[in-house]
Amino acid sequence: MLNYAASRIVQTVIVLLVISFIAFLLVANIGDPLAALLSADATVNERLELIAKLGLDQPLWTRFLHFIGNMLHGDFGFSYRTQDPVANLIAERLPATVELAFVSLLITIVVGVPAGIYCGVNPNSLFGRFIMLISTAGITLPNFVVGILLIAVFSVQLGLLPSFGRGTVVDLGFWKTGLLSVSGWRAILLPAATLSTFQVAFIIRMLRTQLMEVGQSEHIRFARARGLSEARIWYVYAIKNTLLPVITMLGLQLGNIIAFSVVTENVFAWPGLGSLFLQSIQGADIPVIAIYLIFVGLVFMVINLIVELLYPLIDARVLRRQS
Amino acid sequence: MINAPAPLLDVRDLTVTINRDGKLVTALDKVSFFVNPGEVLGIVGESGAGKSITGAAIIDLLVPPLKRTGGTITLAGTRLDQLSPKAMRSVRGGRIGFVFQDPMTSLNPVITIGQQLCDTIQAHLKLGGNQTKKRALDWLDRVGLPNPDVQFKRYPHQLSGGMRQRVVIALALCADPALVIADEPTTALDVSVQAHILELLRDLHRESNVSMMLITHDLGVIAKMADRVAVLYAGRVAEISPVGELFNAPKHPYTRGLIRATPMPSATGEMRLDQIPGAMPGLGAVPPGCAFNPRCFRAEGDCRATIPPLYHEESSAFSCFHPLERVTA
Repeated sequence: MLNYAASRIVQTVIVLLVISFIAFLLVANIGDPLAALLSADATVNERLELIAKLGLDQPLWTRFLHFIGNMLHGDFGFSYRTQDPVANLIAERLPATVELAFVSLLITIVVGVPAGIYCGVNPNSLFGRFIMLISTAGITLPNFVVGILLIAVFSVQLGLLPSFGRGTVVDLGFWKTGLLSVSGWRAILLPAATLSTFQVAFIIRMLRTQLMEVGQSEHIRFARARGLSEARIWYVYAIKNTLLPVITMLGLQLGNIIAFSVVTENVFAWPGLGSLFLQSIQGADIPVIAIYLIFVGLVFMVINLIVELLYPLIDARVLRRQS
Repeated sequence: MINAPAPLLDVRDLTVTINRDGKLVTALDKVSFFVNPGEVLGIVGESGAGKSITGAAIIDLLVPPLKRTGGTITLAGTRLDQLSPKAMRSVRGGRIGFVFQDPMTSLNPVITIGQQLCDTIQAHLKLGGNQTKKRALDWLDRVGLPNPDVQFKRYPHQLSGGMRQRVVIALALCADPALVIADEPTTALDVSVQAHILELLRDLHRESNVSMMLITHDLGVIAKMADRVAVLYAGRVAEISPVGELFNAPKHPYTRGLIRATPMPSATGEMRLDQIPGAMPGLGAVPPGCAFNPRCFRAEGDCRATIPPLYHEESSAFSCFHPLERVTA
């Protein structure tokens, strides 16, 4: 188990270094930091001074190590667009996105998992077929359509929920949360529901397929031949065999929402990372894009790492494949 | 059969059909046999003869589109074919244990052996947690696994094929069933392991006096284990005889063909091997009359016209119009 964990962590660090290098190449080769940082009437001396200060006269590898070193000290460089430290820009937007991602994950688990199990256990029931029909819509409708539909119904027609913003935000010092106020919860429901539509549908279909397959297997038949109750067979013996792919997908989806909920954030004017990313692309703000790239890599790698460290707890065979 | 004890399991006219695109095809055609208390009944036949279907039909575990459509199954006075699903569940594992064929696929890969045993015990016996565990450990010991405490916590993939089959046997027997149906219990194992598993089954059978239905295609296994043998052919019973009579004086030409097709040294020590011409008809392709008639050297007009009934003699029964004489073998 320790070997397994160590090898996973080493892999994660290596991948992060590679991503950082690519991001660094972006910063090093695209755009001109001097033009962005110097005033138009700067002298040649000021220019040379800045080159030396930024280390632009150093070889590529030295600069990369410097770049990594700075990041480890919390220095992520400056935005070309706003001249703010990139770290501040991301820290400001991060809570909104992370909270959105977790609430939508919560909806996915609470709605998707039971519905998926129901469809897997009773694939031919009327209700099961009805769920499958609805989930087809969930898979095929794009996010912005779902978002606009939800706004049209719940904000415009019924006037129940706000259509934009985060509501009242409570500042905890290190984190600005919208989850401690009623208006914050009201504001997060529609965007979170929008994001989870696809995932709920996806998890339902995945669990159903997995359960139907496991249900045919010889060990489930043997469990029946031993007189175990149907509840025990489905909810313990069968479910445990479907968990690996399910938590893998949930993890990837969580990363996806944190990194790429651009469209949904735009529809709901949600002040998160997605809108920051969009603005940075429009402004060719290379340092922000580069750090964002590394950040996204980090999120995916950490989530993936956690998921992989959970594997052996579910299926001990994972450890054997390792050795 | 006059002074024989009441059979533990009595199967009469068991019929199983398979629905193929709306057409009903008979897979098991009025199969009748019984198993006495403490007896080992061998069920033998080629692949596709309906052996496994017979076993699965008894505990209502047929895989759709196979479906039981007729006949009665009586276990110690209880009609199994009329039980509710809930009552059937307590028969499975509780009254009838089932040993599956392939230990590589029949154990749940993500649940420990101990847990699988305890769940099975608790499904049938009202025992506390400690007693359940004690019984599980006891069974691991009885089926010959070293260090039961260690094995209890292990997962199936950590055991060899032979050890897994021992676990499967423990799972089938741990709730003290009256009858064990073993469906090709050694077919998936190495030859050296097969002998050990057969020995284990025989020992457990002697200790507990449990009745057994041993389904196999291997006449060697039958000779070692069975008291009586039912020979199935194309979903019908060809012959049922005590094991000695079956080998020494088979009545049905198919039985003799089956015995002669098994490599066995003759009295002079040379190996003799005769194969039966042709192949067993598949599902839905059974010829009219006796299913064996196209391959039978004794077949006559009546064999092709009507299905021979099961003729009962003192200890045996056969379904043939022209049975072999005692001396012909």
